[in-house]
Amino acid sequence: MSATLIDGKAFAATIRSKVADHVARLKKEQDLTPGLAVILVGEDPASQVYVRSKGKQTTEVGMTSFEHKLAADTSEAELLALIQHLNANPEVHGILVQLPLPDHMDEDLVINAIDPAKDVDGFHISNVGLLGTGQKSMVPCTPLGCLMMLRNHHGSLSGMNAVVIGRSNIVGKPMAQLLLGDSCTVTVAHSRTKDLAEVVRRADIVVAAVGRPEMVPGDWIQPGATVIDVGINRIEAPEKGEGKTRLVGDCHYASCAEVAGAITPVPGGVGPMTIACLLANTLTAACRANGLPEPDGLTA
Amino acid sequence: MRAALIDGKAIASDMRARIAAEAAELAEAGWQPKLVSISVGDTAAADLYVRNQKKQAESAGVQFEARAYPGETSLEQLTGILQGLNADPRVNGIIIQRPLPPHIPVKVLQKLVHPLKDVEGMHPASIGNIVYNDLALAPCTAVAAVEILKTLPLPIEGLNVTVIGHSEIVGKPIAFLMMGLGATVTVCHHMTRSVAMHSRAADAVFVAVGKPGLVKGDMLKPGAALIDIGINRVDGLTVGDADFDSCAEVAGWITPVPGGVGPVTVATLMQNAVLATRMQMDQYRESYAQTDV
Repeated sequence: MSATLIDGKAFAATIRSKVADHVARLKKEQDLTPGLAVILVGEDPASQVYVRSKGKQTTEVGMTSFEHKLAADTSEAELLALIQHLNANPEVHGILVQLPLPDHMDEDLVINAIDPAKDVDGFHISNVGLLGTGQKSMVPCTPLGCLMMLRNHHGSLSGMNAVVIGRSNIVGKPMAQLLLGDSCTVTVAHSRTKDLAEVVRRADIVVAAVGRPEMVPGDWIQPGATVIDVGINRIEAPEKGEGKTRLVGDCHYASCAEVAGAITPVPGGVGPMTIACLLANTLTAACRANGLPEPDGLTA
Repeated sequence: MRAALIDGKAIASDMRARIAAEAAELAEAGWQPKLVSISVGDTAAADLYVRNQKKQAESAGVQFEARAYPGETSLEQLTGILQGLNADPRVNGIIIQRPLPPHIPVKVLQKLVHPLKDVEGMHPASIGNIVYNDLALAPCTAVAAVEILKTLPLPIEGLNVTVIGHSEIVGKPIAFLMMGLGATVTVCHHMTRSVAMHSRAADAVFVAVGKPGLVKGDMLKPGAALIDIGINRVDGLTVGDADFDSCAEVAGWITPVPGGVGPVTVATLMQNAVLATRMQMDQYRESYAQTDV
């Protein structure tokens, strides 16, 4: 292997400690404690794990965590009423509704009911438009984490050829906006793209976010390119024993690492950055809500 | 010349005929589409555009009221005016003419327009919708450029498209509209190392930077479509961002400047006016026209 490993776990820890320092300062100087409210509807086991992890990390950096667990048969009106209540609560600076929601709820309607200034996931239609027009917004956590890692590794991204594989609303499209904002030349490739290998070979930066295990082989990568692998896929691992599984990314790690200049592993790459960016967004929202300057380097 | 010339005037005229039929249908239902244009201060620069918009509106069956306010009008006064227009059910679309005086921030005004009356497609919610593939009201120039490409016999799914220029009102919305239609899109700008490398790989090139002669024939793939959105004055002539003569030798299709994207842009504004009116009618019927108790 020749590529430098981009250690998301370690970098996320430095982001969290930066956030914790700012939180401590806000408490001392402004008597202000940033607060994050997380709403979970139903009992999806994966969502329960995420919500627990978010709550734990929120309190670890010194913020207040508000957890709202609602039964799966909660009505949409009740959920909307809770969001209104949190929108009006000055101690809550960030609101996150854990997705997916049960089938009887309209996700767009629920997300767009959140005050855009408290929309720490960055999914509200106004935040999408503000990002699209280069204005101050709340930036979706996963692409923000990727951007922070790229900036940390390269310094300036200006003039680099970036290829984003995948055009999802939560990763691919905001990632393209953020890379354009940092003056990359950006191509968004996806399932309809002809000759994907050729497109990817032109890239100095590859961000893979499609959710297909090990889809990108090493011979698609330009020597020396930086590979950010957003995919988290569980595949069978018979070598570990019957019925065992392991996590892999959208890139074939071993062959890509032979060619790339730098690469994020899965797990331990982009994943840990996502919650760190959620905390960074909550801090940013708390500063904006109180007319305080935003901390440097923690948003786009 | 090898390229087929794309006739923007003919495309616009077809669109106007369709729009007029729809406007008549809406008027019949009690929803005559109406636009209000707001100019502030010295409006000489925008007067020509406003007159042209008015003429086109009338030929598409859309009412058009041009309002001019003095240069010293305050932001607070304009806010009040826009709130009034937002609330007025007889007004279906609001156009904010630029340039504005320096004390009036354009983005603040654009955000004050109700998203359902945002016929210029400049409200953050309108931009957010096109990023999310809900192609409702989008910026007129971007829509016009995409509509022109759609008239060509090119399958858009999987098409390699290069957009030169990443402005918020033209380049980026074109990129997201094309991405939503299934194209593979590359966005280039002033920091791009080799625009030619990207433009030569493209089946369709959109250029919107405001630099005459930026795209030359040797930067194109033979047979590609070239949509030129630039409008520049050079030696008393109006030219685009492409060097027309050399590009026309290589491209398969090319838009002239003037007479390409320009006329389609104004027709798109009228299309947005009709669309906005229909959205308002639907919302009214959903919210207020229920007779059940």
